[in-house]
Amino acid sequence: MLRRSLPRLPVSVVLVVAVLALGGCERRGGCTGANCGTLINAAVAEPGTLLPPSSEDIVSNDIGEQLFLKLADVGMSENTLGDEDFQALLAQKWEWDGPLTLVFHLDPRARWQDGRPVTAADVEFTFNAYTDSAVASPYRPKLRRIASVTQRDSLTAVFRFRDRYPEMFYDAVYHMRILPAHLLRPVPRDQWKTAPFGRQPVGDGPYRFVRWQTAQSIELIADSTFFLGRPGIRRLIWRFTPNLQVAVQQVIADQADMREQLVTPENVERARAAKQLAVYPFRGSVFTYLCFNSRAGDDTTQPHPIFADREVRRALTMAVDRASLVKSALGDLGKVPPGPMSSLLGIWDPDIRQLPYDTAQAGRVLTFHGWRDHDGDGIRDKNGQPLAFHILVPTSSVLRRQYARLLQQQFGAIGVHVEIDELEPTVVNQRAATGKFDTVILSRQNDPSPSSGITQSWTRAESGGSNYCRYYSPEFEGLVDRAVTASTRDQARALWRRAMETINADAPGIFLYALENVAAVHKRVENVQLRPDSWAALLRTWRIPPDRLIDRDRVER
Amino acid sequence: MTGGGAAWLARRLVASVAIIFAVVTFVFILIHLAPGKPCGQVGGGEYVDRAVCDQLVKQFGLDKSIPEQYWLYLVALAHGNFGYSFSLHRPVRDAIADTIPFTLQLAGAALVLDFLLGLGLGIYQAVRVNRLPDVVLGNVTLFIYSLPTFWLALLLLLIFGEKLRWFPVGGPNDLIFCPAVDSLYCVADRFWHLVLPASTLGLVGAAGTARFQRAAMLEVATQDFVRTARAKGVPERRVVLRHQLRNALLSFITRFGLAFPFLLTGAVLIETIYAWPGMGRLAFDAILSRDYPLVTATALIASTLVVAGNLLADILLGIADPRLRVRADIGLVLAT
Repeated sequence: MLRRSLPRLPVSVVLVVAVLALGGCERRGGCTGANCGTLINAAVAEPGTLLPPSSEDIVSNDIGEQLFLKLADVGMSENTLGDEDFQALLAQKWEWDGPLTLVFHLDPRARWQDGRPVTAADVEFTFNAYTDSAVASPYRPKLRRIASVTQRDSLTAVFRFRDRYPEMFYDAVYHMRILPAHLLRPVPRDQWKTAPFGRQPVGDGPYRFVRWQTAQSIELIADSTFFLGRPGIRRLIWRFTPNLQVAVQQVIADQADMREQLVTPENVERARAAKQLAVYPFRGSVFTYLCFNSRAGDDTTQPHPIFADREVRRALTMAVDRASLVKSALGDLGKVPPGPMSSLLGIWDPDIRQLPYDTAQAGRVLTFHGWRDHDGDGIRDKNGQPLAFHILVPTSSVLRRQYARLLQQQFGAIGVHVEIDELEPTVVNQRAATGKFDTVILSRQNDPSPSSGITQSWTRAESGGSNYCRYYSPEFEGLVDRAVTASTRDQARALWRRAMETINADAPGIFLYALENVAAVHKRVENVQLRPDSWAALLRTWRIPPDRLIDRDRVER
Repeated sequence: MTGGGAAWLARRLVASVAIIFAVVTFVFILIHLAPGKPCGQVGGGEYVDRAVCDQLVKQFGLDKSIPEQYWLYLVALAHGNFGYSFSLHRPVRDAIADTIPFTLQLAGAALVLDFLLGLGLGIYQAVRVNRLPDVVLGNVTLFIYSLPTFWLALLLLLIFGEKLRWFPVGGPNDLIFCPAVDSLYCVADRFWHLVLPASTLGLVGAAGTARFQRAAMLEVATQDFVRTARAKGVPERRVVLRHQLRNALLSFITRFGLAFPFLLTGAVLIETIYAWPGMGRLAFDAILSRDYPLVTATALIASTLVVAGNLLADILLGIADPRLRVRADIGLVLAT
């Protein structure tokens, strides 16, 4: 009778309520000290491997910063000339032994996380691995001016260079993370990309690897015995999300603690409105440009019928109001680059001479060179050929697709017909690399030195490689060669300026925007320092004060 | 099982294997013909050095002709080897083993919601046909059914994840408290994370199921045996649940078979929006990065699940409807 009088709730309802109640409960952990804390980073890509020479994607580099040390690293100034602004890491000190020999003395306190000491043999092994063609490291070309690395004794590594130049020290320390020879020597070099070590690395950095859950997260734990000082935050987690919007949403909903790039003005506004978040602007390392292919798309041995003509390229460049485009699309999150560079580079100077925005002049130049609207259809033509071309743009980038449409309008205003081809990034990359395009909107990421990036993308030394515009100017290349080998910073800067003015005048592309970064970080995190070339480089110095710890900071596992 | 039934099952199994083989072949050729190279894009960055790319192409045998690659793939597959994922730098088998449980959990939860809710609503509407509840529910289910799944997902995520913060914004578990499902709390946490993604998939499915079920119930309601039952004075509840529903279940079972493709294709979107680490997201990323072995393997698994689902539905139909069973015994139907 009693059972009958009770309300009859379906078992499923009871279960759901119980599960929801249990799920809604919070757990309290026990850590209360100064070195507690958990930082969850909402990342938009998952690395393929954590073995440094085999990967150059951004997330694996961020995680690599915590696991594997360099000998030294650039400072907040991002100065890559000489060695005075560099910070010691694995190397306790260094000295020059003649003009071409650099000697590093390793910190004797440095240990691999399996307890073995870090030695000069590891440094020698690392250089040999990075420069071995079997490893196929993307960093290999950047080390071509280092002739050899040898060990003088267990704690002394000797670098010998092929020639003398201002960025010798930068090349010696920036591109390589030192690897544990005793763990990697048995692995055949041509199998490094797929080596299990890449998914379960043992490093010498401030954090130890804990776990990698495919398509979910990578977790690191602070090494309390780290020889350069115990990291301020105990646990770091990279949580992988499929796209930027989901990542931003997780930070705003307080389910992640930071996102290092918000990218769009809307995301910045949303982050500002979230009461638990602080936003941190810092210099960006990416710039975007419209690349004019100087070779014909269907036969790359022939000049392009439109863009081989320097004057046409210049006219098209003058027809684009880059400042207005940046303002409307990016607001404060972008700048017009004064050449092919991001604002990360020390050679950035808004006073570098550039082609003006002048549609009247653009029209006159085109008319003067025979591009007139002969048939009255609103499109200029010459010898029966209309002034018309395609812009290739990846579907993955909302911003670049938006820019393609804005450019289409602006070119249309001077009688140039543009069609937009939106394709998958993989296809865009393949067509760009093989020269099968008229124009393409590309983004590039700079490292702190202008030498490597500009040489790779804009000189004939790399033509057909990443010089997708097939730009060739003996004058520009001469200036770049001299800038790279200049003996003083002032000399280098002056030469880079002349090189930039030369390329701006030749207009192999239209340099559209350089992104400024804005990071969103939970307000409970203190001492947030974001180095522009690598936001995670100083992560070990961030901390969460004991009085600001929240549940996820305290939990012990 | 009778001899005719066993023969029918054997024919269906052979046909299923042939279908799966055809799908794998088709996908293999199609993805290899698609423009773009496997190293065209890497996470976070955009371009891979051409020399590095060429070396990868050689290392994984992608410089061989497509028939040669296909033959090598089939030989490897016959040995249980799905190949190596060049985007994930790990065996395909491991990548799928990691992700398929998540897809099955999501699809399973969505299926339960779809059929429990859809069945309940369909019966309720049929019992109250052309009355206010039926009209209201009919319009509501039509509205939900016509919603694009991705739009509903974004809406639920925005309202219940970001604004109200009732449910997690993506991911399968709490990374801090439950990195692995090793306690009752973590089981609950997994359910907690499943609520929004499973609801998105399940609600759209339930709206469709409800409409089908209502129609099936109404069709049966006019049959003689239902009228006879009522005339005999059988209680209405019994008439509906015993006589009407039981006979209306045939369309429900048919829909069960059709739900698998819907759930698996829906999972690709839902897993991407909710950062659910399942096989749909894996397949999507694999297509973008031209990870041929991974694309082909996910197609193989997905087609196997769909074919198995349909086979199961056919078997259930045979069990539920004696007329079909008899005809199967004499080999007339169910051979397709």
